[in-house]
Amino acid sequence: MLNTILPILIFAALALAAVGAGRRVRLWRQGRPSPVPLLKGLAALPRRYLVDLHHVVARDKVMSNTHVATAGGFVAAAVLMILVHGLGLANPVLGALLLAASACMFVGSLFVARRRRDPPARLSRGPWMRLPKSLMAFSLGVFLITLPTVGILPPDAGSWILALVLAAVVVWGLAEMVVGMTWGGPMKHAFAGALHLAFHRRPERFSSKAGGEGRSTGLKALDLENEATPLGVETPSDFTWNQLLGFDACVQCGRCEAVCPAFAAGQPLNPKKLIQDMVVGLAGGSDAGYAGSPYPGKPVGEHHGNPHGPIVARQGTALVDAETLWSCTTCRACVEECPMMIEHVDAIVDMRRHLTLEHGNTPGKGAEVLDNLIATDNPGGFDPGSRLHWAADLNLPRMADLGQVDVLLWLGDGAFDMRNQRTLRALVKVLRAAEVDFAVLGDEERDSGDVARRLGDEATFQSLARRNIATLSRYRFQRIVTCDPHSFHVLGNEYSELGGHYAVQHHSTFIAELYDAGRLAFSPWKGGSVTYHDPCYLGRYNGEYEAPRRVLEALGIQVAEMERSGFRSRCCGGGGGAPIIDIPGERRIPDMRMNDVKETGAELVAVGCPQCTAMLEGVVDASAEVRDIAELVADALVARPAAAAPRRSADKTTAEEVI
Amino acid sequence: MAFDALFQPIEIGKLTIRNRVVSTAHAEVYATDGGMTTERYVRYYEEKARGGCGLAICGGSSVVSIDSPQGWWSSVNLSTDRIIPHFQNLADAVHKHGGKIMIQITHMGRRSRWDGFDWSTLLSPSGIREPVHRSTCKTIEEEDIWRIIGDFAQAARRAKEGGLDGVELSAVHQHLIDQFWSPRVNKREDQWGGSFENRMRFGMEVLKAVRAEVGDDFVVGMRICGDEFHPDGLSHDDMKQIAAYYDATGQVDFFGVIGSGCDTHNTLANVIPNMSYPPEPFLHLAAGIKEVVGVPVIHAQNIKDPNQAQRILEGGYVDLVGMTRAHIADPHLIAKIKMGQVDQIKQCVGANYCIDRQYQGLDVLCIQNAATSREYMGLPHIIEKSEGPKRKVVVVGGGPGGMEAARVAAERGHDVTLFEAAEALGGQITIAAQAPQRDQIAGITRWYQLELARLKVDLRLGTRADEATLLDLRPDIVVLATGGQPFLSQHPEWGYSENSEESMVVSTWDILSGKVAPGKNVLIYDAICEFSGVSAADYLADKGAKVEIVTDDIKPGAAVGGTTFPTYYRSLYEKEVIMSSDLMLHKVYREGDGLVAVLENEYTGALEERVVDQVVVENGVRPDEDLYYALKAQSRNKGQLDLEALYAIQPQPSLSETGDGFLLFRLGDCTAPRNTHAAIYDALRICKDF
Repeated sequence: MLNTILPILIFAALALAAVGAGRRVRLWRQGRPSPVPLLKGLAALPRRYLVDLHHVVARDKVMSNTHVATAGGFVAAAVLMILVHGLGLANPVLGALLLAASACMFVGSLFVARRRRDPPARLSRGPWMRLPKSLMAFSLGVFLITLPTVGILPPDAGSWILALVLAAVVVWGLAEMVVGMTWGGPMKHAFAGALHLAFHRRPERFSSKAGGEGRSTGLKALDLENEATPLGVETPSDFTWNQLLGFDACVQCGRCEAVCPAFAAGQPLNPKKLIQDMVVGLAGGSDAGYAGSPYPGKPVGEHHGNPHGPIVARQGTALVDAETLWSCTTCRACVEECPMMIEHVDAIVDMRRHLTLEHGNTPGKGAEVLDNLIATDNPGGFDPGSRLHWAADLNLPRMADLGQVDVLLWLGDGAFDMRNQRTLRALVKVLRAAEVDFAVLGDEERDSGDVARRLGDEATFQSLARRNIATLSRYRFQRIVTCDPHSFHVLGNEYSELGGHYAVQHHSTFIAELYDAGRLAFSPWKGGSVTYHDPCYLGRYNGEYEAPRRVLEALGIQVAEMERSGFRSRCCGGGGGAPIIDIPGERRIPDMRMNDVKETGAELVAVGCPQCTAMLEGVVDASAEVRDIAELVADALVARPAAAAPRRSADKTTAEEVI
Repeated sequence: MAFDALFQPIEIGKLTIRNRVVSTAHAEVYATDGGMTTERYVRYYEEKARGGCGLAICGGSSVVSIDSPQGWWSSVNLSTDRIIPHFQNLADAVHKHGGKIMIQITHMGRRSRWDGFDWSTLLSPSGIREPVHRSTCKTIEEEDIWRIIGDFAQAARRAKEGGLDGVELSAVHQHLIDQFWSPRVNKREDQWGGSFENRMRFGMEVLKAVRAEVGDDFVVGMRICGDEFHPDGLSHDDMKQIAAYYDATGQVDFFGVIGSGCDTHNTLANVIPNMSYPPEPFLHLAAGIKEVVGVPVIHAQNIKDPNQAQRILEGGYVDLVGMTRAHIADPHLIAKIKMGQVDQIKQCVGANYCIDRQYQGLDVLCIQNAATSREYMGLPHIIEKSEGPKRKVVVVGGGPGGMEAARVAAERGHDVTLFEAAEALGGQITIAAQAPQRDQIAGITRWYQLELARLKVDLRLGTRADEATLLDLRPDIVVLATGGQPFLSQHPEWGYSENSEESMVVSTWDILSGKVAPGKNVLIYDAICEFSGVSAADYLADKGAKVEIVTDDIKPGAAVGGTTFPTYYRSLYEKEVIMSSDLMLHKVYREGDGLVAVLENEYTGALEERVVDQVVVENGVRPDEDLYYALKAQSRNKGQLDLEALYAIQPQPSLSETGDGFLLFRLGDCTAPRNTHAAIYDALRICKDF
């Protein structure tokens, strides 16, 4: 009897799945066009899955092995099942393979079940709780129906009742694993996830055989010239189709939630919920079915949307509240952790663009900062002619006078900040000690546009960027060095789309180079225990984790690492304009970060970012001092043994002080 | 950005100053070896530059001619090329830290003394005597005038060759240039006096000669007065006319403006306003000058606080603020602003210990910062953490000496406990601050309170430490700064008794602290003539008492400095306090409800009586030695200091000796009654090596 039913069940399931797939693709195609090479993408899929995605998943060894067993078993079992039971190729070898595959899958599903027994808060409940049972149903059902194929059981073993029960189990398995894949069950992630990998809007973020870790962290420019391009994302259908596809790939594993600093601080943001809300939006409906952690302080079930309705309501509620979008620090911790390669930050900035450019509704001090940027080219609204006030006694060489140097020292807007001025002075001292040929733009420098862009004001960003690019194009230099990772990121990764291509280095990278080249010598470290805080825009955005540690090591410092360090570093709370908007939460992000510092017992936390310095120094009753790497280096400078008598500065009216 | 107005660079002539804060010219009394800027001088200015000061104008009243004596105030001597290499050291030391340095140059004319050194014949346009220095002078001759004009030019050349950034011509404080300006002292009828142009001529010729000598790329400024405050002197309008006249030449790069003339004791007090003055009392005069000139204007007078400086600069009243005493109190003022440590700035309280020493020809020192001008000896402004063992340090007494000892020991990284019997820190400062116009002296305590809290010193207030309590803490070092008590028991005839019902006399501390209610008809007998007597008189008069203050010294308040006794006198005379001198307190006895004070004339022996209801005696302090002698025998060092090490600013040898028990040091009034600076200096030099 089963021999008759099985092919019908299998092909019916496949047919239903095909209908579901068509429906799902139509949902995605509500999004705007996005030019990605489809065939090339499909061809790259195996590598992207097996290398890049696995790289992320493998950070959790147990889960990785579970997934390999379950998913690998399922893919093999499904294909073999179609051959053996669908097409009737009752070959004992295929049957044996099918048994092995389904057994493997069953073992995997036991681990899935174990994980679901007392799941961590980050995992969504709801339909996901039945998934291990479905996995077991499928694998067990397939296993049992295959036993006769290999002759372990007679073909007509058991009664028709047993056959019916078995058929029911297989139906359950097929319904979840095949039909559910395209009709919206937990297994949707496999279908959407695979296609998302193939058609990812940032193909450059994946590694290639040629080597080199793929990295793509710069925001994509808005085409402000084309009137057909919406200014950011107002409705779900304003996302590109492959962004919608990406949202649909979410497995609700909550790794993003677990690392999100805003979520931890009790601000109304949960990246997982945000992505799920986008899924609700693309299909239409309410968030009542969401079974994970809510946005802190916001009950589930009160928001709703549809593909062509606004995501953020001008009044009342729609799909997402604006404060959720403004809570993000753009730290990329979620993106870094996402096994499905979803680009949360892109989505958030897309939606912020609409709020800022179309509504003019940038909350908190955001509007003031943008006004300042428009009026004065710096976020603080300072007299643009005062950018070099901190260096009046340093006689800094200017690009305008020299035209050509080895290093262009990019100051950033920290030049207006008394705290960061100490870092800059320390850096100048270091550059001079190493006899680096450098110059500054001085008053010709403008804000890089980082904050404007992340507050959604793409127009101001592009205006600043184009004018900076025009200024830089007048001069010749080997590289730009800056102590500001935000400037570093924007100049290095985001100006290229607008025509500015530069070799940009963070000061820690440059100092490490100078040290390794024997151009700096340090006195031994006499201070206490030190930890290092990785700035998001240096680490996750640009992959520079080593140079700062190399410099600290050269200073004789053994870094007492925080649990959250390197690519898992916790944000200081200062990125993405978050401190400007200042959405209230239950805790402050920098307080949590300084607590991380405290846990190491360090007396000093070394940083490499003006924003981090400001945020961490703002913590009341902190247990550790906050100092930039440049300051530590400047303090430790001694004359190089090899160097001749200290070169008398050409102009003796140059201050030695860092303060 | 907070304090952004302070941190705007400014061009003076062709010189860029990194911020708007200036240490203006003051006489330091540090130029030794015949007026040379030797090491102490250099290190004093280097510290300001290291601390971030934008511009220092050194050498108040530095002389250009040999007949303007420099020895009285050890001022800088620019009359010889011998100064040039010294200037090079000075300029390098300041430039190394990004600061700029200029020097004030002058001929003081009649405003000096003739009775010493070269026994110079002083000069003045019309030979009129100067009262503050009791100096007589000759009427200047044409030959002298041209010689001095040439001396100015040569002095400016020496400053330039020495690498300094500029000179400031002193036309203030009644020096020779403004002696010519002022009709009060210039009665000449030749081309150097009479009409406005004639009175301006000497200064103009000096300016032209200096400019011709140094050229355009060297700063030449003028310091002028904003109003002499003499009916027959130069008014504010006169000064605006003068400033505009010189400014029109285009040869002056800046003006420094000071309110008030100073050739009487009373006007002199205005020049360096003490704590009785409001903030920036004469800013309006400088702002008036700024209205009529096109070059930057500097103003210094009672600008002590960064917020105040920011407000003045933001308001555009002047271009640069002088924070001179502020820098004497804390040469790291600017650095602390930049470090976000405004609360750690040791703010000048206007005690004028610095300037009052200077007027006596003594080196300028700060009442509350013993490291100032002692940088060359190795006394630090910033105390480094000790690399030696962490010690348990117990300080007894929360007056200035005890507070400084606790601060320094805590900065060294030690575990510090401070006992103070009173409920608050401050010791005698707390009492002194009760007098009218003296409240700001409590700023000394305020800074220590903040610092001791920051350094987490264990404060045991309201706790009188006894031997057992101290030893229970197992201290490594005990510092006693227990002060003393008013010394009323010296003469039994005064009728002092520890029983306040019986005692015929009370102390100034009793009055100022409020322990004893003010009488209605009070006699104050002041044997000391420092602040306490006149403060008590002012306090009592302020409460409505009829007060007579009597001393056996030459006058009440005789030992109060030259910029401070005038403000006391203004207040005392206004309140009709009677001041009597040359009388000793012979005896006090009770008669009916009242008291009779018998006074004896020191020179005739004649007795006179005063019938009053309260007799207040100021007879100084008797050290409180009980605890010292209780601990002395048990201590490892028997309470002794190695004086050679102490005076050489070297560590006490006992600190490096090992052994059981504790070291014992005492300082301040519990050793011998001296002053705030003495207590703080001893605390710093003893404790800096803990």
